[in-house]
Amino acid sequence: MGLLLKGILVTTSIQANTQQVHLSHKTPWLTLKHVQQAAKYLFLSACGLFMVFPFLWMFFGSLKTNDEIFSNPLELLPQHFHWYNFVETMQSAPFGLYIFNSFEVALFTTLLVLANSSLFAYALTRFTFRGKTAMFSLVMASYMLPAAVTYVPSYIVLAKLGLLDTHAGLILSNAASVFGVFYLRQVFLKIHPSLIEAARIDGASELKILWAIVLPQCKAALTTLGLITFITNYNSYMWPSLVINTADKNLIATGIRQFFIAQGNYGLNWSHIMAASTIAVVPLLILFMISQKIILSGIADNGIKE
Amino acid sequence: MLSVNNKMKQYWQLLFFLSPLLLPLLLFWVLPFICSIYISFTDWDYISPTYDWVGMDNYRYMLDDSQFLQALNNTLVFSLAVVIPTVAIGLGFALLLQKRFAGSSFFRAIIFSPWITPTVAVSIVWSWVFDSKHGLANELLGLIGVPSVSWFEHGNTAMFVVVLVTIWQAVGWTMLFFISALNKIPSSIYEASLIDGCSAWTRFLKITLPLVSPTTFFLLIVNIINAIQAFDQFQILTQGGPGGETRTLLYWFYQLAFQQYDMGSATATAVIIFLITAFLTSLNVWIGKRWVYY
Repeated sequence: MGLLLKGILVTTSIQANTQQVHLSHKTPWLTLKHVQQAAKYLFLSACGLFMVFPFLWMFFGSLKTNDEIFSNPLELLPQHFHWYNFVETMQSAPFGLYIFNSFEVALFTTLLVLANSSLFAYALTRFTFRGKTAMFSLVMASYMLPAAVTYVPSYIVLAKLGLLDTHAGLILSNAASVFGVFYLRQVFLKIHPSLIEAARIDGASELKILWAIVLPQCKAALTTLGLITFITNYNSYMWPSLVINTADKNLIATGIRQFFIAQGNYGLNWSHIMAASTIAVVPLLILFMISQKIILSGIADNGIKE
Repeated sequence: MLSVNNKMKQYWQLLFFLSPLLLPLLLFWVLPFICSIYISFTDWDYISPTYDWVGMDNYRYMLDDSQFLQALNNTLVFSLAVVIPTVAIGLGFALLLQKRFAGSSFFRAIIFSPWITPTVAVSIVWSWVFDSKHGLANELLGLIGVPSVSWFEHGNTAMFVVVLVTIWQAVGWTMLFFISALNKIPSSIYEASLIDGCSAWTRFLKITLPLVSPTTFFLLIVNIINAIQAFDQFQILTQGGPGGETRTLLYWFYQLAFQQYDMGSATATAVIIFLITAFLTSLNVWIGKRWVYY
């Protein structure tokens, strides 16, 4: 593929050179710029294809029979679309429930993160109090903590609280987003203080100022933070796999792994495994399609980490 | 009296604003971190209620433990193998997609899309692609006459697959960061170089590359930190195998803590992971303060 592309690039650049020579006196219909453009599109399409290929392979694999997968492994498209695979997969494990669980945990975690990060960032930017610098340093220091360092004691904390194997335990233990505080603090600092001063003189409470003046000005930032928090939590695997034991409480990532390693699936039942993967991936791809503008510009314009 | 009342009111207000975040932060980050350090000096086995203080033994033992040293080495190899291509390819895509043109947002979205999807699910898809008997990779190799490879039975090829999957997921996010950095370069600099008659290549080497170098450095560090914390793809694709050849420090921590219940050694390993990331983060902050061009 690489060689082929190189070949195309070389020949196009030769063509382009010869073109340029006798283009100098005539109106050009094909310029170096056009050729470069074409090469760029060709190259980007090839790369794009590589990026989405696993999704296509997964989706079409989920519509084949296993016999077909083993006899014609190179065919991308199935001979017949076996939609029934999805029905069978949904029957063999409660994937609908897993997705619901993931949505529930991710949604409540996101709401909590949005609320407590806003409150905390507001206090950091608008209040003066003793220990403010220390408070910010504490948050900053937590930023560099790898989650793994906290897993063993966090597990014990959840056990002590009686929250092991519960969704509430997952939500609570993910509710502190250091990144959320950083990000919103940055955004809040850009808001002009005059509006807030005016509201204070009018006797508005701080909570009211945050809710009615500050937050409406940061809708884009809140949406970006919300989406990123939601996606991260929806996809998270390691911590939920440690906390959740009951099959019915599985999130989609832990549920799909159970299905993957279940007896008789691995290496033999690819069509159903791919159907399960499709079920896991599609909700997020849809969410991304709806919100891609916000997410992409949120990251590209502000430079967000994670 | 009024001022005391006022003080109390302010105090409660502050508590109201800070505690919703502070509570989970202390309970699930700060306190566990301190506990982890403490446990790493003990021989606690999770099941028994008692434990002994063993001092530095867990750390001293590591230096002679071939499994720990192998995991440390694997972590280093994995991080470098992921980070360098991710940053290079990310920059390449950013240069191609920096300016808006018909379809540029479409390509950006396509390249970024793997980041959105659950690592577990997409790793399962890749495990099929690299399946030794019916995988696409071997079928394609067969077309050009290369014999089948048992990808997950050899350390190098198994590591290659995990590296590939990780790069595939990380490259879009890296690209977006580079786009943000490229857009901040003042166009006047480019115009000046055009007047001076610089070639595109010189422009890239002498202007673009130095000006995005702080971002490049930032992305190198952040991608290394992410690579050190990679778990899901290892769990699905290799489980650290074969023979521990794809076992990273994090995976070793997981096995020690939640399969062998050797909490002392596990938390000691976690503390080492912490020290590595803390070092990299401080380096990042330190360099970031001194190395800003614009």
